[in-house]
Amino acid sequence: MTTEEFRFQCNTTLPERAPHVAVKGSCGCVRADGAGCFISSNVATTPGDMTERGCTYAGCRGVVGGPVQDVIQLTHGPIGCAFFSWGYRPHVADDDFHMKYTFVTDMDETNIVFGGEKKLLQSIVEAANEFPDAKGVFVYNTCSTALIGDDGRDVAKRATEMIGKPVVFFECEGFRGVSQSAGHHIGNETIFKELVGSVDPEGDFSRAINIVGDYNIKHDMRTFEPLFEELGVKILTRFTGNVRVDQLKSMHKAALNVVHCARSATYIAEMMQTKYGTPFIDVTLFGIKAIAQALRDTATFFGLEEQAERIIERELAKIEPQIEYYRQRFQGKRVFVYQGGPRAWHWIEMFRELGLETIAAATTFGHEDDYEKIFNRIQVGGLVVDNPNVPEIEEILTQIKPDVFVSGNKEKYVAYKLGVPFVNGHTYDTGPYAGFSGMVRFARDIDKAISSPIWKLLHAESRPAPESYAAAAD
Amino acid sequence: MTVVTKQERAVAINPTRACAPMGAMLAAYGVHGAITINHGSQGCATYPRHQMTRHFREPVEVATTSLTEKTTVYGGRDNLMAAIKNIWERFRPTMITICSTCLSETIGDDVSSIIAEFQESNPDVTIPILSVKTPSYVGTHTTGFDNFLKEIAATMPHRRSRGDVNGRVNIMPGWVNPGDIRELKHIVREMQVDGLWLTDYADTLDGGYYSPRPHFPHGGTTIEELRDSSRSLATIALQKHVGGDAARLYKRRYNVPAHVLPMPIGLKNTDTFIDTMTKITGNLPSIEVQAERARLLDVIVDTHMFNTGLKAAIYGDPDLVEGLARLVAEMGMQPRFVLIPSNSQKWADDMTALADEMGVDMEIMLKSDMHELHKRIKAEHVDLLIGHSKGKFIADAEKIPLIRVGFPIEDRFGYHRRAVVGYKGAMYLIDEITNAALEKRGNVVSNTLMEIDLLPAESTNGNGCRVNFNGKHSITENPASED
Repeated sequence: MTTEEFRFQCNTTLPERAPHVAVKGSCGCVRADGAGCFISSNVATTPGDMTERGCTYAGCRGVVGGPVQDVIQLTHGPIGCAFFSWGYRPHVADDDFHMKYTFVTDMDETNIVFGGEKKLLQSIVEAANEFPDAKGVFVYNTCSTALIGDDGRDVAKRATEMIGKPVVFFECEGFRGVSQSAGHHIGNETIFKELVGSVDPEGDFSRAINIVGDYNIKHDMRTFEPLFEELGVKILTRFTGNVRVDQLKSMHKAALNVVHCARSATYIAEMMQTKYGTPFIDVTLFGIKAIAQALRDTATFFGLEEQAERIIERELAKIEPQIEYYRQRFQGKRVFVYQGGPRAWHWIEMFRELGLETIAAATTFGHEDDYEKIFNRIQVGGLVVDNPNVPEIEEILTQIKPDVFVSGNKEKYVAYKLGVPFVNGHTYDTGPYAGFSGMVRFARDIDKAISSPIWKLLHAESRPAPESYAAAAD
Repeated sequence: MTVVTKQERAVAINPTRACAPMGAMLAAYGVHGAITINHGSQGCATYPRHQMTRHFREPVEVATTSLTEKTTVYGGRDNLMAAIKNIWERFRPTMITICSTCLSETIGDDVSSIIAEFQESNPDVTIPILSVKTPSYVGTHTTGFDNFLKEIAATMPHRRSRGDVNGRVNIMPGWVNPGDIRELKHIVREMQVDGLWLTDYADTLDGGYYSPRPHFPHGGTTIEELRDSSRSLATIALQKHVGGDAARLYKRRYNVPAHVLPMPIGLKNTDTFIDTMTKITGNLPSIEVQAERARLLDVIVDTHMFNTGLKAAIYGDPDLVEGLARLVAEMGMQPRFVLIPSNSQKWADDMTALADEMGVDMEIMLKSDMHELHKRIKAEHVDLLIGHSKGKFIADAEKIPLIRVGFPIEDRFGYHRRAVVGYKGAMYLIDEITNAALEKRGNVVSNTLMEIDLLPAESTNGNGCRVNFNGKHSITENPASED
């Protein structure tokens, strides 16, 4: 079925979903509800629609604050929020304290009734005593502690004096906002207000840059950082993959912010521009043209164009034969990409370079600007879905039948149950996927997924469920 | 000496417990065609889904009412009404479970009356809609499972008239893995008992590949069975802390006799389960079951020279830890540290009695976390860690083998498919433990295909004879200290 003919059967009873579904027509976005206007995004989820979205806490603790490697990651709330956000997202760093440990004030019923400020203060002090090498404490607020009105900000101020290290309080309670996106924003703002600019080191920062909005998933940064350094720039601070809290404090000294994830980190780049006059550039570090452009844009800023061309030429020569090999293998293959936000549009062009056609793209928490970029990049006829839910994903997989689905862990086994090849673009089954070398790895994994002999076996050998199963199901 | 300790810190560091909604979601997966709606922030549904997916390697679907700032001011009624309607219209489930969260409990949403309002305005929706209270600030993940079973017991069964029996036995496996449920089914079948499972996610969370994919995963207890469960001969709860209260509720409400047993891990606990079935039905163990039991004794004998005296640290959910502690004691090992996240005096009493009975010394650690356990192990070496994946960090740091048991196992494949219950489960565990011990010692001194003798840490008895890589023999007072 072509995407133009496609209508979600599963949304027959859910008209609220129509504004979130669109096809790229020859003149741009054509919404499923027939309205001419742009796809609807960043609004509250329809209750009970089986969304894949998470909460504001997840965006702040899990995405922005969590990768900071040398602070105590303390959740102020009940146990679950801390347990579930512990250690699964591979935002690795030189040290692994942040991956191995999770801290929580473990609010119980009595605390909820009588307030948790005392317990929060005690928890900070105890944790700091227990781990004297930690360089600070990040405290994340949750639904229940926000509702009972704990003044975590005040506690953090007192605790900072008591332990002599920064204690940063994030007001990222889960119910704020409509998705984890609000948590990214809060994470940016809080780190900017509480940490950035709190030290003023001496030195020459005229060629210092920050990599903003990369979280070093499975060491993504190793694929591109050496290339930037080779240009002749110095990477001062990473926001927030593989970063130490002291580096966040001095990130205002950089001459340029290089922003990778535009959705989760443009906030801090804009705030730095306003307050410190630091310019920023938007880059994509996936795909040949995009990485080359990122290096060129950075080089142009510093007047280092020659080095950039040399590096690009050398790196391209290294990977081009391999990319060409995969391009031949991928001819005519169709992708459905569903990511949190920018990766959906980052990857459409990269897939094109690999000979893959993106027939459907979706994001969990993309805003209007993300969808504008998606519509600019996807080819005419491409299906675009905002905040897709489980039945919609299933229908795309079974009706439009992409050759490969690039998404995250939760969706992985849905794809497998439907016999659709899958690549884990969130946490990577292997990785890293960024940079020139990462692209080869990404292509290899897509090839592995598509070309695995198991699909032949599966399609030849699978049988319908025995009748008693089917009967029970109806 | 056996002592009971309780962690005094305010801050929890690396907890071995999650929160209650996940327990209700898991238990509900054992009812065929049931769907859970989590009434709270989106994270309260998405986080447990993700956690369960990483363990079971299956699609896990839970709906959320997606509460936001506005709804925390005006209440979540509209969202919950809409969610129930949307789930019903789109999926036609057999049952809907609504579990609450910190958020909906704190803002004071009355879920039961919202359900009543929904049913009144939607008379065509006749499926059961259950309300399970699961705020994260009460209890642990097992509390949610337990509360779900209590809710089932209280609301689902038909009224029963005297002498009206279906000849079946209600069995509550508790928080176990699909592999465990399959093993329990095997035992129950061998006992010629007709089990009614409360609940059964053996297939729904360890499903097969069928083309086309069925609308709902195959398996699970049916609504009719839940209705019929008041007519059973008896209820056997195989975990005291998950299902025990629900079993007693069946007794009080429907006069179904309750048998609340320890989790059937190891010889004695499995015997108790089988004897209980004999008591209820008069059926004797089949030849197959008798052979399995004899084989287990054989395995204990075969391996004892490599295990006797080894010290283990066991952590996790109360019933699992209790069963594992008994098993390692039966093997001649020392369950040196036993740790649970909750503050259960009843569990501490049971464990103290177990220590006395088996002649072992344990530190019984209540309301403790993995960091507390790590500190204990740094102070006093143990040979093995037994528990879920989160123990990996201690195992790596201290170079101690981790025997993966329980939930969650997210860093390896297939553990959800294995059984630790029954005689066969015990044999599997003994093999795992023995091989892990051999492997560790083998890494240090292996130049032979013979098994390497193992000595308990800090022990100076035995011959202490070790073979080095260069083939020379050396005698040490304390071989383990060289590791």
